[in-house]
Amino acid sequence: MLNKLMESGNKKIADLAINSNFRSFRFRNDRIFFHKASVQERAIFGLIAKQAGKDTMQMEVYDCRQKTNLAGATLLWDTKNNQKITSVAGKNVIKGGKASWDFYWQLFGRNSIDNKGLLIKQYVHYDRGMDNAFWDGRRMVYGDGDGSVFTSFTSDIDIIGHELTHGVTENEANLDYENQAGALNESFSDIFGIMIKQRFNNQDVKKSNWLIGERVMIGPKYALRSMKAPGTGYINHPELGDDPQPATMEKYQNLPITQSGDWGGVHINSGIPNFAFYVAAYNIGGYAWDKAGRIWYAVLTDTSLAHSASFTDVKNLTIVHAEKIFGIGSNEAKAVKQGWAEAKV
Amino acid sequence: MKIKLIRTGGFIPVTKAAETEVNLTDKELSRLLEIIQPDPADYRIKDGNYYELNVGSRSEAVDLAKVPDEYRALFDKLKSDLRIVK
Repeated sequence: MLNKLMESGNKKIADLAINSNFRSFRFRNDRIFFHKASVQERAIFGLIAKQAGKDTMQMEVYDCRQKTNLAGATLLWDTKNNQKITSVAGKNVIKGGKASWDFYWQLFGRNSIDNKGLLIKQYVHYDRGMDNAFWDGRRMVYGDGDGSVFTSFTSDIDIIGHELTHGVTENEANLDYENQAGALNESFSDIFGIMIKQRFNNQDVKKSNWLIGERVMIGPKYALRSMKAPGTGYINHPELGDDPQPATMEKYQNLPITQSGDWGGVHINSGIPNFAFYVAAYNIGGYAWDKAGRIWYAVLTDTSLAHSASFTDVKNLTIVHAEKIFGIGSNEAKAVKQGWAEAKV
Repeated sequence: MKIKLIRTGGFIPVTKAAETEVNLTDKELSRLLEIIQPDPADYRIKDGNYYELNVGSRSEAVDLAKVPDEYRALFDKLKSDLRIVK
């Protein structure tokens, strides 16, 4: 019937029939696509309603009592018993851990670090005066800081989100921890860390200062990193000097793949993809997690993202996903391209 | 002889160092360095710290968890004396 109408001599009828046929074709294909789509793809397209209240998070917090033996740490708090605790660091990681879990679950339908409900283990008061936080492949560990340059590494939610995201990355792209792939590994942690903090504080792209670890570093002028202006987290610091992060590719630092070379500068060159994300998110506007975050999450969980991915690989994938989610030529896709262009990748 | 403990790595890559004078024979030092040698690791801790010990022109990666009791106080002191290398 429709075929006959499309061949009608009456141009109006033929146009309507062709239009109707095209829409039917799109509906059929959309149905097939979304029927086959994974939970993550459906979440990226905004098809999964926020599942507020469905709390399946499992978390344990341990006190290392300023020692380095994690096996000897004592249980401070767990979701099952919800103990009352006095440790500020303990309270910080519970708050940050919950904010991180909520972020991944409510926005992307991701159930914990491995998307299979992994028990989140966090260790506080690690070592004496330890000015660091790390992910050891199974858990997040935080020091209390040296008290002069750094305070507790639990003081900022973005640090907690950063460490938890290392676990997410390991369960997804598992990016190599060296050179550009390593810098991307660090950058994904910063990007999701800052969004977790922004969401917790209800900050849009304009309200956020885009600083990582602003409370961890002692002094009102200092932060561990700046995503808005890499290389300005701290300037002329009496102990640390200047923040070494570049914002653009021509200042990429080729460092040795050694412990002292920061595995090829993974914490240094991460400034470049961090800056690309900042520009993209800022130009898109609103809350970073609503659109830019969806694009970067789609890339992080894209099975075609190689362990050894380069900045250009991630640039290309963010553009592909921006166009897939928001359309070719959309403002979002343009903003993503602009972000990478400004970072000169 | 002088030994220097160096810490690298971390959330922001900062190098810290501390040194002290010790009375160790070459044999004792070699044995110590052998004991505290890190196990070969195929996993890189994300944002992890690493330690190395410098003695003269020698520089060896060390695992402080392996320090024998007799040297524990020495290494605890070195760790607490670590200062940022500017």
